[in-house]
Amino acid sequence: MSSLEISNLSLSFGEKVILDDLSFSLKEGQIAALLGPSGCGKTTMLRSIAGLIKPASGTIRIGKQLVSLSSLVMPSHKRKIGYVPQDGALFPHLNVAENIAFGLDKTLLTKDQISQTVKDMLQLIELQGFEKRMPSELSGGQQTRVALARALSIKPSIVLLDEPFSALDAELRGDLRSQVIELLRSRNTTAILVTHDREEALVSADVVALMREGRIVQEGSPEDVYSLPISPAIATSTGEALLLEAVLSDDGSIRYLFNNLSPLETSKTNGQVVIRPEEIKITRSSSANSATGKIKKINYYGHDAMITVKVKSQNVIVRIPGPFDFQVGEEVSLEHTGPMRFFPSS
Amino acid sequence: MQTSYPGRTHSSLTQLSKSARNQSVSKLALRSTVGVVLFLSTVPIIYLFIRAGQKPFGQSIDLLFREKTLRVLGTTAILVLAVVALTLLIGVTLASALHFIKLPFPSILIIPTVLPLAIPSYVFTYTWIAFVPSFSGIFAAIFILTLSTVPYVILATLAGLRSVDESQIEVARSLGLTNTEIFFRVVLPQIKGHVSAGVLLTALYTLSDFGAVSLLNVESLTVTIQNLYRASYDRGAAAVIALVLIAFSTIVVIVDDRVKNRAKVGEAVKVQTSKQVLIESNRTRFFTLFVLINLFTLSIVIPFYVLITRFLDNRVTIKWPDLLSASLSTLLVAAIGAVIALVLAAPLGILLSGRSDKFTRFAQRIITVGHGLPGVVVGLALVSIGSKLGVIYQTIFFLGFAYALLFLAKLVASINASLARVPSGVKDVATSLGANPWAVIKKVVAPIAAPGISLGTILVFLTAMKELPVTLMLRPTGFETLATEIWSSAAINRFNEAAPYALILVLIAALPTFLLSRPDKADRMFVNESMGSEK
Repeated sequence: MSSLEISNLSLSFGEKVILDDLSFSLKEGQIAALLGPSGCGKTTMLRSIAGLIKPASGTIRIGKQLVSLSSLVMPSHKRKIGYVPQDGALFPHLNVAENIAFGLDKTLLTKDQISQTVKDMLQLIELQGFEKRMPSELSGGQQTRVALARALSIKPSIVLLDEPFSALDAELRGDLRSQVIELLRSRNTTAILVTHDREEALVSADVVALMREGRIVQEGSPEDVYSLPISPAIATSTGEALLLEAVLSDDGSIRYLFNNLSPLETSKTNGQVVIRPEEIKITRSSSANSATGKIKKINYYGHDAMITVKVKSQNVIVRIPGPFDFQVGEEVSLEHTGPMRFFPSS
Repeated sequence: MQTSYPGRTHSSLTQLSKSARNQSVSKLALRSTVGVVLFLSTVPIIYLFIRAGQKPFGQSIDLLFREKTLRVLGTTAILVLAVVALTLLIGVTLASALHFIKLPFPSILIIPTVLPLAIPSYVFTYTWIAFVPSFSGIFAAIFILTLSTVPYVILATLAGLRSVDESQIEVARSLGLTNTEIFFRVVLPQIKGHVSAGVLLTALYTLSDFGAVSLLNVESLTVTIQNLYRASYDRGAAAVIALVLIAFSTIVVIVDDRVKNRAKVGEAVKVQTSKQVLIESNRTRFFTLFVLINLFTLSIVIPFYVLITRFLDNRVTIKWPDLLSASLSTLLVAAIGAVIALVLAAPLGILLSGRSDKFTRFAQRIITVGHGLPGVVVGLALVSIGSKLGVIYQTIFFLGFAYALLFLAKLVASINASLARVPSGVKDVATSLGANPWAVIKKVVAPIAAPGISLGTILVFLTAMKELPVTLMLRPTGFETLATEIWSSAAINRFNEAAPYALILVLIAALPTFLLSRPDKADRMFVNESMGSEK
């Protein structure tokens, strides 16, 4: 497997800028999740790495090999990149074994080597005995697994997965995702997983890269991007977040819903405080630094619940583990226990 | 992990620049080839403009506005409007009945509705004249052309109906709509584009029909052009009238384009097919069967009855060697036409299936207009050009080339549709797995698209076999095909002599019609089943 280094990649379709001076790098064997809303350029970035689309400027290096320098690009078929697009894109006219063997060079490998590789791959994805099945005879999850095996069979330098699980139902999705990630890790594969599912990104990756309007706006370990967002908007893209109006005084104190500091006459900065729902403690007894309110709604998920509490005119969402005995309409007090993240408004 | 297979590692930027150059070279090559094909396909129109321009302007105006021309224009317009209205009414009703009403053996019932496609209009007409000797005039022409073209509307509507999500109908029913309301408010708006495609084929068929109107003594534009051409002292006049015909068919194509573009906004979004929502009422069932039986009698039973009885009456005097040689000639020249058409259509189909830009839109527009070119017009232009070309003129290759120009648009549409069925993700994956552009075409695109493209080519082949006006105008002296043999006998009421030729032609042409009547095939092939140009 190889490392990946992208610098200053740009690309536009006519007036519309798709990739805007994008830089990103990945170490050998790392799995990155590319998270962003649709239309932010995730797929285009993936296709540039695969060589399926030609960037206007910038460089891409895979391992030591320079594959893209400005508009000079190494053609896709020479890059040895495993590509798994959204729907798997199995060749409809070929059976499972033929699909997996598609990228194996018949002039360089013997028949036995090819059939051995196919066998190994089928074992890897646990679909032994499916050699002769046609893609239309497979379930969605099986198709995705075959598409992955097909990509891995060429011993790719990098594997690119473009929302491979998006078409599957929730339960299957979780199982298949962990299987695939485990598989990629066991082979020390460098991989990029494009997704718009924040949980999927956090669960799967070593590096989470958040993409907005053709740029990577934040990247880091899942823990870091979750707990240290660079802006309120980014915070909401990695998980539930409560954005509260706040004021920062010159002395460093912050006034917001959860404290009752009296206003100071010094100059001040307006902004927002970002709080994760699990960083708020809900109790029946009030303390000095707590806000009181009435429970408006309880969304019960089984393993936990999201409780909406109306404090003054603000709805505050609190995550608590189940079981619990709060009722709608009850008076409760809330305490902010987590880190203070203040973002001045621009 | 650099354990790559030997011979697969590449480096250095020279390689990078070389491949970039290769890409733009192949793009340029494709575009210039397409340019040549587009030029060839517009040659008939360009020639007609030049030829008409040579005629003094005042004379052309006089010709256009003399009483006879206006009468011909009126006849043509009435013919087209009447046939469109009738096929629309019968076609949409019957297709909806076949789709929504629970009928016995639905897959068999559909066959008689499409079988008329196998009968060229001149054969259809002459069997009716043989059956009812006084059969003649504009009502007879409307009758024949409606029965000949109603399959287009039925097939197109059925394809549309199959694309409508049945659960929408269930929802509409739960909201309290009656079946009639559901049809007009839910179903019809979604299948407009499909119906319009069927009507387009009907209108173009009627406009360019030569055989039926000519046998029935109805003077439409095609007949006028043919008459002016044969009175060869004035080809300029023929060119002027041909341009009027082109204007007519262009209007039809543009109207269809508008309807389709507007329909695209509300295109059917099919989520999943639940079971069909069927109506079970004996009254509608009997009514449908009654209409089907009538249609079957008028458009299949009577023509075949006439053909078979005439054939049997005549079987002693059949000239078997002539029959054999006409059959072989027909197969040969149609095959040449199909091959040339494939060669010309391939680059266009490939270009149009790619990303759209100014040039592809331009090409698309030219092809769309070419779709409406009647055989008489192409024949007229090529006769005049051909006589200046020397050796190639009056050969079966030139006739084949004329067929190719005539059916180019249909084959381009078929190639384009077949290529569009290859998902782009599949091509990307093949490339990422190390297949170079040629290997992608050979191993992925061709296997997926080939069945559709070959069916399109076969349909061009079969349509060319039935083609009449171009064959009459461009065939080498003494060269007889099934179509010309049928024509020369039928035109002088020797129905017995025409019967064996007509039987062979109809039986061969019936083969692909059976293919089209299979619902799964018809959906996918509808774009290229436009086989109606044999007038």
